[in-house]
Amino acid sequence: MDFLIEGFRRAVQLILSGDADVFGITALSIKIALSSTVLACLVGIPIGFVVGTTRFWGRRAALTVLNTMLAFPTVVVGVVIWGLLTRNGPFGGLGLLYTWWAIVAAEVVLAVPIAAALTAAAVQSIDPRVRRTALTLGAGPWRAHWAVAGEARFALLAAVVVAFGRVLAEVGAAMIVGGNIRNHTRTLTTAVALASSQGDFALAIALGLVLLGLALTVNVLLQLFQGRGHA
Amino acid sequence: MLSARGIEHHYGARRVLDIDSLDFETGSITAVVGANGSGKSTLLRILAFVEMPTNGSLVLDGKPIRTRADRLAARRIVTLVEQRPFLFSGTVTANMLYGLRARGCRGSEAKRRVVETLQLAGVADLADRDARTLSEGEVQKIAVARALALDPKVLLMDEPTSAADRSSTNRLYQIVAEARDRGVTVVIASHQLEEVYRWSESFVSLEGGRTSPVSPENVFRVEIPAGTGSKEVRLGDLVIHLVTDTTGPATIALPPDDLIVSTGGFSSSARNQFQGRIQRITDDGRGRVTLRIDAGVELVARITPSALAELALSVGSPVVLSIKAMAVRVF
Repeated sequence: MDFLIEGFRRAVQLILSGDADVFGITALSIKIALSSTVLACLVGIPIGFVVGTTRFWGRRAALTVLNTMLAFPTVVVGVVIWGLLTRNGPFGGLGLLYTWWAIVAAEVVLAVPIAAALTAAAVQSIDPRVRRTALTLGAGPWRAHWAVAGEARFALLAAVVVAFGRVLAEVGAAMIVGGNIRNHTRTLTTAVALASSQGDFALAIALGLVLLGLALTVNVLLQLFQGRGHA
Repeated sequence: MLSARGIEHHYGARRVLDIDSLDFETGSITAVVGANGSGKSTLLRILAFVEMPTNGSLVLDGKPIRTRADRLAARRIVTLVEQRPFLFSGTVTANMLYGLRARGCRGSEAKRRVVETLQLAGVADLADRDARTLSEGEVQKIAVARALALDPKVLLMDEPTSAADRSSTNRLYQIVAEARDRGVTVVIASHQLEEVYRWSESFVSLEGGRTSPVSPENVFRVEIPAGTGSKEVRLGDLVIHLVTDTTGPATIALPPDDLIVSTGGFSSSARNQFQGRIQRITDDGRGRVTLRIDAGVELVARITPSALAELALSVGSPVVLSIKAMAVRVF
């Protein structure tokens, strides 16, 4: 039990002393998580919007596929992306393997279904009168869609936050395609895995606390935003 | 102004509308009446170009509306206030501005129209309120004001006063009548028949998605002679006794629940007695039997199942309908 308490004490010391390793890893993780979330939402939210608001042949199948992809094993995604980016793979010439862009690519694949499925669920739950009212007031199709998005904004924001949380906490794919290279592709999660395997419990706890802090901060911001909207 | 031709509409296999022809004249108020589920709301959504009919065509200002671009252009001059209107999240003013901006009206002109319309509708004090904090009646008033601010050529309203008190209702209809006088074509679907008959020049009665030649409420346009008190008006071969100070063109109604059905004439104070023959009997299963009777004009009377059994009525039975002159409603 003492090693746990000691681990927490040293973790706090590492964070408070501004340890360069901890802050470098944290900065890289935030950069990767933000980039992946933005790219995944740019792709996933429009897909979710189309699936959630329009009627087309195969829509139910599309929803089922999206929901199934939520449970995609991260190591499988890592292996597939690794296969695509390795020197002999179709995109090997880009030289992206073991760079932070490779991690972004894997995280985007994991986060797109989250953004799409949660967006579809969000816009499906919106009162059909929203779009109809917009149309009766003279809105064109895009403005009417924007009205639906406006009414669903908190649910859409929640989709973004969940996607961000997923990519921030992901370890399997990041380890495979990033290689956990110090100062290049070492993220909070891969660093925690490495530190704990090396017995550096304090560093693992410190990085874990930073991860939790980031997740907490994002969720508090979401709560504050939602609270203001419902006031 | 707005015409519908051969409109058919289906929800799945169920046909909800089957209308041969309808015309709504410029600068008129038309009431659409009918029981729940008769197709009123569906008709209004189709006329507002937000729902496409399964078959049929709409003509606006002499131009057939066929393409997506036609429909968008049509929605810029037609607007609909739905039965349960929706206000977007935000303030009342933001809601009022939404449609104006969608139609290209911005800046100070848009704000001026918002202020003017809110004042006209008597809800200027709600301008800065969050739309989500309004009562049902206030939502309805704002939705009507939001539609009027657009200065539409065709204004469609579905039960616009269902949550309004009497003074608000009168105010709304006065505003609508003023819009009519400015040349706006107004179509109102309502259950509150007294109001719509009083304010509308014509009505469309729907029954099971089809236009019915007779209103379910025995409503007729008549010419009432000058004078006060007891009068007689002609309705085809029928002479109707009524009591009113109204003169000139008016709408009268013989409420189906007030018509007494008997199998022979009897002495009573009822000034109106019409002989007829039963054409159709419909039991709604909830204690009300509707009789359609040919009495020279088609009249509808409602009785209880026990009265039907006691009088041994069936299709083809001769009956006498009675109603007091004072029970004939004049609008």
